[in-house]
Amino acid sequence: MADRIVVSAIGIVSALGLGEAANLQALLDKKSGLRHPLHLQTAYAKEYLMGEVRMSNDELSSLLGLPGGDNGYTRTTLLAMLAIQQIISQVGIPFLQSEPLAFINANTVGGMCSVENMYLEFISDKTDGDFLKYIDTLDCAESTLNIAKHFKLKPMMATISTACSSSANALLLGSRMIQQGLVKRAICGGCDSLSRFTVNGFASLKNVSKTACKPFDRDRVGLNLGEGAGYLLLEKEEDAIARGADIIAIFSGYSNSNDAYHATAPSPDGSAAYRTMERALKKAKLQASDISYVNAHGTATDTNDAAESKAIQNMFGNTVPFSSTKPYTGHTLAAAGAIEAIFSIWALRNDTILPNLNFTTGMEDVSIRPATDITQHPLKHVLSNSFGFGGNNVSLVFSKA
Amino acid sequence: MMKPVYILSASAISPQHTFDREQFLQPVMSSDNGKLYVVEADYRQYVNPVAIRRMSKVIKMGISTAMNALQQAGISCPDAIITGTGMGSMLDMERFLKDMIELKEEALNPTYFIQSTYNSINGWIALQTKCNGYNQTFVHRGLSLELSLLDAQLFLTEAEEKQTVLAGCFDEMTEEYFFIKNKIDYWKKEIPNSLDLIRHSNTKGTIGGEGAAFFTLTNERGNAICAIKEIKTFQDAELSEVQSGIHELLQAHHLNPNDIDVLLCGMNGDCRQQAVYDMALQEVPTPTVTTFKQLTGEYATASGFAVWLASEMIRTQQVPETITYRKSNTEAIKNILILNHYITGSTSLILISQA
Repeated sequence: MADRIVVSAIGIVSALGLGEAANLQALLDKKSGLRHPLHLQTAYAKEYLMGEVRMSNDELSSLLGLPGGDNGYTRTTLLAMLAIQQIISQVGIPFLQSEPLAFINANTVGGMCSVENMYLEFISDKTDGDFLKYIDTLDCAESTLNIAKHFKLKPMMATISTACSSSANALLLGSRMIQQGLVKRAICGGCDSLSRFTVNGFASLKNVSKTACKPFDRDRVGLNLGEGAGYLLLEKEEDAIARGADIIAIFSGYSNSNDAYHATAPSPDGSAAYRTMERALKKAKLQASDISYVNAHGTATDTNDAAESKAIQNMFGNTVPFSSTKPYTGHTLAAAGAIEAIFSIWALRNDTILPNLNFTTGMEDVSIRPATDITQHPLKHVLSNSFGFGGNNVSLVFSKA
Repeated sequence: MMKPVYILSASAISPQHTFDREQFLQPVMSSDNGKLYVVEADYRQYVNPVAIRRMSKVIKMGISTAMNALQQAGISCPDAIITGTGMGSMLDMERFLKDMIELKEEALNPTYFIQSTYNSINGWIALQTKCNGYNQTFVHRGLSLELSLLDAQLFLTEAEEKQTVLAGCFDEMTEEYFFIKNKIDYWKKEIPNSLDLIRHSNTKGTIGGEGAAFFTLTNERGNAICAIKEIKTFQDAELSEVQSGIHELLQAHHLNPNDIDVLLCGMNGDCRQQAVYDMALQEVPTPTVTTFKQLTGEYATASGFAVWLASEMIRTQQVPETITYRKSNTEAIKNILILNHYITGSTSLILISQA
């Protein structure tokens, strides 16, 4: 039988704050991090609520001991480094250097947040200037390589980009690499910062909400974009026990399954979301009835919530509490899978159902309703969904240690 | 140790006649302007006719190469689709970005945004093949293809029965990309004819290229062209690390350095990146050394062309003249070691052997 993979350290940055305590407190206080952005320079700043991390690039740099200004680090990378730093403060760099490590990172648009402000210089005749520090930062691996270098780690590295399910994919890849002995442990997760490129991309698709999003509500009008980073340290259970680590959760199952329906929209009947959850349960050797909380993808777009709620109802009936935490953080895209995995794990550890904010009226096609209050339940297994463009669907299952 | 994966079929669109291959790398294509663009194929044979009108070149060539690889293997729907790309659809990204700046964030075309998403080609292939299986996209510069092959190997090693994976890569060289990277000295100032690239390895810079390559992979030997035995990746490695990597790889597969029949090198004519190849030429004293970037130019997933080339060499038991760097009469081509280094500091080793 395959060795169990466990989560033994986490790091998180979101609009709710920096670190575990700040994020957890905001969730328990039902306090949203959405606001009009201060740092992102966009025509939509006064129009759309977004899940922007409170700190400026200079403040983020300062927390990392880096100089301010155009220091060559993109906001994406700075957010990621602050999340990874939390893992490092728990386990130390020598530990991470001691045995084969993988660093599986994920993001959707790399350093676009910087490049979009300099692109006209990139394509001008100018051959000198600060923009040169960012000339190799557009691609997704930029953050991965810079993070490793900054922390003096030499892991096996990979960068995944599968839209909104990216970091959920990073987690399952890390688990598989450990299972097959490629590495001893893996830091897996993702990062994305707000960019005009992304805001305008989603705006051009007409699925962004100006007001705070209302997942699983009949009157939902779209998503709020967000930014952040989330990382989880994975290792074999026996290794974690041997070093006396605090085992935060067991990563008991996962599935990646493609919808094969449309470039951006999900199968309306929810069959693809259902299939993904079903396969994740099978991998975890669990029944639907074993799951005690579902952290839904719940973007509050018309199509996602319609499809996902049908899938949840078909799989779990009316019995399993579910919610979307997107109204707290906004949709953090490539970071969402990891951030919501962390939220799901907290729910599990604290036997607490996380409430879905802004819900008032139930959807007509389904009878299930999201959890809106903080309630205490003994939780054993939780499931977290991340569904992306290109039909890329991932479900993760975590179990109590 | 992970199990070998078997290549059932290989397809490549490249600056050479690789897609409509009647003869192995004939006629040879070249350029004098420092850029090698793909020989385009009749994409309409492979791509959804309604969607094709709005697709950029890289999307069309990615899907076509993927579908062609599946057709060659006689497979309509693989169990997984795994790709690697350095830049995805760069042209769509440039269009959306420039429109956004010029139009001041108004009236933008969502098609460019959707198609610039790095996994959009994966989505299209899944849609066309109705593949609900595992679907993954690596965007990791010069190791994107290697990671997709490695993930395919993980997937196939885990599988309890026979499974197939469609794995591959795609990258396109846009005018702006070429222009921008010139500012950080990617390209040669004095441009030789592309076929003479390797003979100009005493100066800085290389030439730009592009291409797509896809492979149908499986975990059972039957009907396979060849096997991928091992993939090793390095980032910012000392020469000694790659050197040890070569020996570990050989040892793990019970090979002596002289069991490598062909060393296939990714030399790109840039003197700054030559050291790793010089080291390998010492370590692997094979009489037959080949190079390929004089045919493809340099790009993040050029190693996909190398894997295609290795599988063709094993299938045909031929070493074409145009790739020969150093040659003797090799009796049989059983083992090919691919060594590739990319501008941003990555190095990879791929061992391809007879099935």
